[in-house]
Amino acid sequence: MLEVCDLSYAYGDHVAVDGMSFTLRRGEALGLLGPNGAGKTTTFSCLAGLRRPRSGELRLEGRTFLPFACDTDRAVLGLVPQEVSLYADLTARENLAFFGRIQGVAPEELDDRIAAALTLAGLEDRADHRIATFSGGMKRRLNLAVATLHQPPILLLDEPTVGVDPHSRHHLFAALERLRDGGASLLYSTHAMEDAQRLCDRIVVLDHGRVLAVGTHEELAAGVGEPGADLETVFLHLTGRSLRDS
Amino acid sequence: MSRLLRPAAAIAAKDLRLFFRDRVGLLLAFLMPAALVLAFGFMMQKAFGGEDGGMARAELWVVDQDGSAASRAFVDDLRGLAMLEVRPAPDDAPLSLEGAEASLRKGRAHHVLVLPRGFGDALAAGELPELRMLRDPGRSLEDTLVTIGLSSAYMGATQGRAWPAMLGRLLEQSGASPEAVRSAVAAAEQTRRLMEAALGRNDGKDAETGRAPEGDGGDDGQDGGSGLDFTAFMRDMVPLEVEDRLPPERAANLSHIVAQSVSGLVVMMLMFGLVRCATTLLRERDSGTLDRLLAAASPRDAVLLGKFLFTAASGLLQLAVLFTFAELVFHVGMFRDPVTLLVLSLSLTAAVTAFGMLIATWARSLEQANGFATLLILVMSAVGGAWFPVQLFDMPLPAEVAMRLTLTHWAMTGYQGMLWNGLGWTSPTLLTSIGVLWAFAVGASLLARRLFHRRVLPA
Ligand SMILES: Nc1ncnc2c1ncn2[C@@H]1O[C@H](COP(=O)(O)OP(=O)(O)O)[C@@H](O)[C@H]1O
Ligand SMILES: [Mg+2]
Repeated sequence: MLEVCDLSYAYGDHVAVDGMSFTLRRGEALGLLGPNGAGKTTTFSCLAGLRRPRSGELRLEGRTFLPFACDTDRAVLGLVPQEVSLYADLTARENLAFFGRIQGVAPEELDDRIAAALTLAGLEDRADHRIATFSGGMKRRLNLAVATLHQPPILLLDEPTVGVDPHSRHHLFAALERLRDGGASLLYSTHAMEDAQRLCDRIVVLDHGRVLAVGTHEELAAGVGEPGADLETVFLHLTGRSLRDS
Repeated sequence: MSRLLRPAAAIAAKDLRLFFRDRVGLLLAFLMPAALVLAFGFMMQKAFGGEDGGMARAELWVVDQDGSAASRAFVDDLRGLAMLEVRPAPDDAPLSLEGAEASLRKGRAHHVLVLPRGFGDALAAGELPELRMLRDPGRSLEDTLVTIGLSSAYMGATQGRAWPAMLGRLLEQSGASPEAVRSAVAAAEQTRRLMEAALGRNDGKDAETGRAPEGDGGDDGQDGGSGLDFTAFMRDMVPLEVEDRLPPERAANLSHIVAQSVSGLVVMMLMFGLVRCATTLLRERDSGTLDRLLAAASPRDAVLLGKFLFTAASGLLQLAVLFTFAELVFHVGMFRDPVTLLVLSLSLTAAVTAFGMLIATWARSLEQANGFATLLILVMSAVGGAWFPVQLFDMPLPAEVAMRLTLTHWAMTGYQGMLWNGLGWTSPTLLTSIGVLWAFAVGASLLARRLFHRRVLPA
């Protein structure tokens, strides 16, 4: 569905994404697994049209995809930023209403979409409370729900489960599974291998802006010659370092 | 177009909602400026305005060493003058010379008039009694007022006997030759005697022995008649019926300095307020919500336009509140010409909004924006005349040019023209101001858009 071909991006002289290629298939949850600084967020920024790739190509359903240059191309994407990006002084409902409008939801559909998003986030009873009063986990749930308002076929999830309490974590995974079962394709980044293992159909292992390996958990384990190994071991084999250390 | 306008309107509406939810922001936008306007307005009114407005007043402390009926009458004459605030008040204890000198040293008094012993006798004898003035040399504005007031009271007390001598001084100061001065004084003296005779007033004394009271000139002394104001001089000598004409558009009790400080402060506070609104762009970048807006399918310019709309809307709101407040407190006649007020306020809001957006798109960080904006606003306010009526003084060319380069100056020229001169928006003065404000608004907006694409949008 979405092909990333030889994507590169540099901050000045510092190359953050270095010739990355992978494909997100329709309806799958594809994990981007890599330590901090591997280039996950930068890749998402390029995909979401926030940064212009230095080189490489993006293709959507076989045709060139230009999220930076072409405003309407961005409509197929829902971005869940790594940091909670909401207006703390607005209520959950007000945040949803605002971002719904910005993302082009038709006014007559807005109320239904907001209700659905509140359900997805499990925040129906807190809809009219200000975000500033929310716990970290609640904010994360809403941060995800905001990106689903315009029902984008592709969701870009940048470490959505990092630093979240167990209850909210469970809720977030359930929500993501529901979205995938509803037909959305998820690109999900994380530096925590348990999370990748739990949700993702396939995994892209990243380090220093490069793709080291792509495949299902089994394929990756087989690839490094240790069938049955966990992702931590796979990463150790691929880089000589532990995922947790880096 | 609606692809641009719809999200822009949504952003503006969201920001207004946040604006009203931000207590500190509201305090800064409305309460603080109102308090400042109040403080400054009253201060200026007290310092220069007088109860009846319009007329500046200076404090004059009087030490009456003579204590005669004539000296008391002279002090009463001084009290009757609009430009003077005579101390001590009629019912207060009289002032001693030592007490007055102490007040002068502490800076509580700036002009002390001493009526020496023998003042009344000299007057009765038809002489011109000498006076002493102790003054703080730093108070030139007050000095002019005191001089004018004192000359006219003196002229009254001496029943005009002083005027040939005063005319002489006036001519001397304006560079006439001693020759010419002498003959003019002689002629004036002649005229005076003739007039006195004609009016049947004859004190039987020869004034030739009298000399002008301005002779003493010690270190701390001051000539009562130096810098004599010719109009005031004439006003007292000629049976001139002085009639004040007020432009019907001006509020009757408007003091020039109050109008000035009110409009100057409002312009300054508007700048602070709108920079705060415009820099919500930077706040959104810092909090990550800007990424969300930019990742949406609407055009990027919608974000910029949304900020413009929000900033302009809150600017108009701020102006409406502050002007209403100023009107209620100072009765400056703000709403006498609503169309002109609206046109001026729209122009000012457009210019200041563009200024705010320029700061917000240029700055790399919120701190940089705030620091730079504060500096710029304070300098523009000072140079442009928001704090002090700089346009009343002769300024060297560079200062004049600097003044005309500030938004503050053009905004204030507009509001002063409306409030003080009763000009409508179609008058050349106001049209010039309005034109300059809009030219700045358009130019700065285009530049802000460029900066937005270059510096705010990541690449
Ligand atoms: N705005 C930026 N300016 C300069 N360097 C950056 C910036 N953002 C990220 N980097 C650098 O780019 C590399 C990739 O960062 P990032 O994409 O955030 O990685 P990840 O999301 O995997 O932690 C890191 O070395 C990081 O220091
Ligand atoms: Mg990251």
